[in-house]
Amino acid sequence: MSVAPLKITNLVKTYPPQTPAVDDVSFEVKKGEIYGLLGPNGAGKTSIISCVVTLQKPTSGKIEIFGLDPHAHPLQSKMKMGFVPQEIINSGYFDVYEILEFQSGYFQKAKNKEKIDYLLNRLGLWEHRHKKVKALSGGMKRRLLIAKALVHDPQILLLDEPTAGVDIELRISLWGFVRELQKQGMSILLTTHYLEEAEELCDRVGILQKGRIREEGDTAQLIKKMTKRKIFLKLRTTTPVEHPDLIGFTNDSWEFLVSQEKGVGELMEELGLTTRSLIDVKVEEGSLEDAFIHVLGSPS
Amino acid sequence: MSEMKASARFVPFMTLYRREIKRFMKVSVQTVFSPLISSGLYLLIFGVSLGGNIQLSHAVSYLAFLIPGLVMMSVLNNSFQNSSSSIVSGKFSGDLEDWKIAPVSEWEILLALALGGLTRGLVVGVITFLTGEAFYYFINHEFIVVHSYLLLFLFLLIGGLSFALFGVSVAFWARTFDQLTAVNSFILLPLIYLGGVFFSIQSIHPLWQSIARLNPLFYFINGVRYGLLGISDVDVTTALLVSVGALLFFYLLAYRSLSKGSYARW
Repeated sequence: MSVAPLKITNLVKTYPPQTPAVDDVSFEVKKGEIYGLLGPNGAGKTSIISCVVTLQKPTSGKIEIFGLDPHAHPLQSKMKMGFVPQEIINSGYFDVYEILEFQSGYFQKAKNKEKIDYLLNRLGLWEHRHKKVKALSGGMKRRLLIAKALVHDPQILLLDEPTAGVDIELRISLWGFVRELQKQGMSILLTTHYLEEAEELCDRVGILQKGRIREEGDTAQLIKKMTKRKIFLKLRTTTPVEHPDLIGFTNDSWEFLVSQEKGVGELMEELGLTTRSLIDVKVEEGSLEDAFIHVLGSPS
Repeated sequence: MSEMKASARFVPFMTLYRREIKRFMKVSVQTVFSPLISSGLYLLIFGVSLGGNIQLSHAVSYLAFLIPGLVMMSVLNNSFQNSSSSIVSGKFSGDLEDWKIAPVSEWEILLALALGGLTRGLVVGVITFLTGEAFYYFINHEFIVVHSYLLLFLFLLIGGLSFALFGVSVAFWARTFDQLTAVNSFILLPLIYLGGVFFSIQSIHPLWQSIARLNPLFYFINGVRYGLLGISDVDVTTALLVSVGALLFFYLLAYRSLSKGSYARW
């Protein structure tokens, strides 16, 4: 049985005198999967990642990177990790190319031109390689952080809100890049505010609230388990219909909120309607956002 | 394979050291050449203008007496400034977090910062020495001949490393710019100025002589003065032993600060 790229067991992180920011959290990232940690601000996402990358010391619990505790065996385990922090690192004295050279050096790569050039080209930074960080746009700064995290070919990538403040075009291009990394066999832990992003990318997600994982599982399964489908029926008849799942009538369509198992046919049957009475039908599947709201409750 | 791995193990340290050198060279006007102006002014005002009226018990001119003091002051100041400003700017920009998440040991960070500080200190020290030699030649039509290159280099090395390590300790300990400035103004400058850069302790009251002997910089400065001129207010073996002791103290202090200190941003 292969060792998990990242395994967290009963992690607790407290910043005295406050209550725990991370409270008995356990999960693992399997080889080649993208695992999403979701949650509102202050849920504990960054604290978890900070403990993994050793920026913070856990109060208790266990963290393993390919079976090694990064706090007990920092040199071996850090070689396997790449980290994209949430906040921009300015490195005021140096240009993009120098920053990537230094980053390579920290990870024992004295000569890394080929990889640096590849990343600069792949992430659209080649033309900006001699610029200092302050001269880059917000999106370029984010891409630089990603390039820095990848110079040493890590086996697990930790992305802390990698697309925060990034426009939709760049966000979609970064999603493509993340998928490409996954295809190359990289395991990825992603924290994000963008539920659409998590739904698009993550194989599994954990929903955090007040430092605890409230729900965890396969993304598609979780959506199925936590959400309902909306079925819109546009009928020839104007006679009002009655059904326990009926939630409204808008744009000449009857709107039903049904369980994931219930299909259009079954609903029609329950309504006593035939396909001849149907003008149009639309089905809206539940989203991760619906599941998220279901787990954490609507923001008041 | 293992040979390749062993040499790769030095890459992070070499990278950190190279980064330190590149950092101060990128702002060389501020880090290397502006000390040249201040040293030149000290030499002009104290060494040339006022120096003629100052009598020393040592058989050297005041200008000659002043030069090793200024050299050591430059080395100490710049070693301290380099390592402390590197850490403080890293706390601002977030660079320190890069070091923390990389497979770089605290020992490598410490050594690279200490050697980076020492390098800048020595560069400025050499510039100060050459400036002093130019002044000395202008007045006396001859150069100062170094008494002992070995001792001169040894004391510069110990002093520079000690103060680079002190800079690491203070910068890792400091939580604000004010704290850093306070250490600079209330500890570093008095220690330097009262360590015998500008005067021989033989010219002060015995009580102040005893107090001056508690200052490790007194031994650094007199060691350099002995290496350069062959004169000292203290026995050179004593100076060497105290200096090595001070280096060890500053090393332990820096290592503790690095282990306990914060890499988090300001």
